[in-house]
Amino acid sequence: MPLPKQVKPTLQLVPNKTLSARREQLLEYIKKDGTYLPKSVLHADLDKGMLEFCKNELKVVTAGKVVSFLDIIVTTQNWTQYLETWKFVDLDYNPSPPFITLVRQPEVKFGSNPATKYNIPNRKQFYYASVPTWDGNMQGMDIYTIPQPVPVDINYSMKIICNRMRELNQLNKNVMQTFASRQAYTFIKGQYVPIILNTVGDESQMNLDARKYYIQSYDFTMLGYLIDEDEFEVKPAIQRVTQLVEVDTSTLKKKRKVWPENPSQFPTDFLFLSGVTSLSEKIDFTANMSILSTDNIESYDVYINGNFYGTDVNLIQITFNDILNVQVVKEDNTKPSTIKFDNKLV
Amino acid sequence: MGENLVPITRLGKFFGGEDYALDVGMGEEWLIGDMNFTVILYRIDRYKTKTDDVYGEVLEDGIQFLTPVELKGYVQVLAPTNKFLGNSRVEQQEPGNMRFSIYQKTLEDLGVEIFMGDYLGYYESEDRVRYYVVSDDGYVRSDNKHTYGGYKPFYRTIVATMVSENEFRGI
Repeated sequence: MPLPKQVKPTLQLVPNKTLSARREQLLEYIKKDGTYLPKSVLHADLDKGMLEFCKNELKVVTAGKVVSFLDIIVTTQNWTQYLETWKFVDLDYNPSPPFITLVRQPEVKFGSNPATKYNIPNRKQFYYASVPTWDGNMQGMDIYTIPQPVPVDINYSMKIICNRMRELNQLNKNVMQTFASRQAYTFIKGQYVPIILNTVGDESQMNLDARKYYIQSYDFTMLGYLIDEDEFEVKPAIQRVTQLVEVDTSTLKKKRKVWPENPSQFPTDFLFLSGVTSLSEKIDFTANMSILSTDNIESYDVYINGNFYGTDVNLIQITFNDILNVQVVKEDNTKPSTIKFDNKLV
Repeated sequence: MGENLVPITRLGKFFGGEDYALDVGMGEEWLIGDMNFTVILYRIDRYKTKTDDVYGEVLEDGIQFLTPVELKGYVQVLAPTNKFLGNSRVEQQEPGNMRFSIYQKTLEDLGVEIFMGDYLGYYESEDRVRYYVVSDDGYVRSDNKHTYGGYKPFYRTIVATMVSENEFRGI
């Protein structure tokens, strides 16, 4: 007897996500344990998804036992090797009914899923994601693009081999309930792939002079699509170079003007204006002062700190804070005279 | 009241009941004394075997049978065939059927009858027994082959097909 509707046999502690949150959750599934790009979905992945779907969603339990499911897709090569490892065999090493097997038709046709059929030509690449990059110096973005997935139709036949009608009934009930809306979905690498039920056939062995058993075949078509990661493209987009400038905001004292500009060698002029024959100047450096040239001067006397140094000397050794006095005899006293020194600091 | 018996007088000029009994006796001597093929008959106990009401199917190991009986007869096991199960890729070597011929007198002496659906066990080796289900019990034995040239039915040919372990696996 079923439970009243008010009784909930299980309580869902974490509510299912919906709308945007669900989309983000699916995106996480797609990217899980991988890169920013979706993972490849190829034939083997689709086959495995179908196998898992049949094994889990269409499980048959009769008389308290789960009907064995061959957990590989039977191909031409693997059957005999596989059977040696299977435990549900009889004394002839034949599979012992009841069991369910999944057969894939070898040919895979171009997909009939209207969502992905013939709408975008030439394998155009489409924007998928912008992924920020940072190499320690340059910040940028990579643009990930993928082409539209290729739709494929894969036909499967799920067959139950058994010798009791109730096993047939159980599987049929499961299939009909699952495909009551014509299609069901399997979940492959974060992506829902639709499966539709085509036909139900009977291949039972009912000859009088042979072993009798039921074989019923459920033909499904998976409306899948191929996503190949070899077709993904990653291109660099905007890149910026970050330059960091550190500014000292503390108030600085005004720097003393640096003079002379050339700290080791520089010229100085002594200008004797018209009528002036003596000049004194306090020297604020220590140097050897060489006479470079004179103009309108017949002779000159040099005094340092009031002491006579020499007449018409070519080199004056001067030290810091000395007072240099030069007295000249002009050739023409009505005109200005000049002595040019070259100072070499010592 | 006694059973109505009608004497068989056909072929009377050169064959009769004594000849028939002699030939059957010699045949039994060869078949049972020399050949000595033994098959075990598991007759279904249709009262104790619980089946469902709709399909008449039993669960695994649910078949109940009467006391097994050893039968002496002539056993022929046909060659196995490689085949797929239906249109699946599941390949298997299907064991051949067993043809089992037995004198009607043997059955009458043992007081047993073989019907379709009964099971036969045949030891292929000391530790390996294969079970068959009777698919043709040979009950109709009116043809010339089974009537000693038209005189009287004297043996039956039973065809049995291999049975899956989940249907029947003996004791």
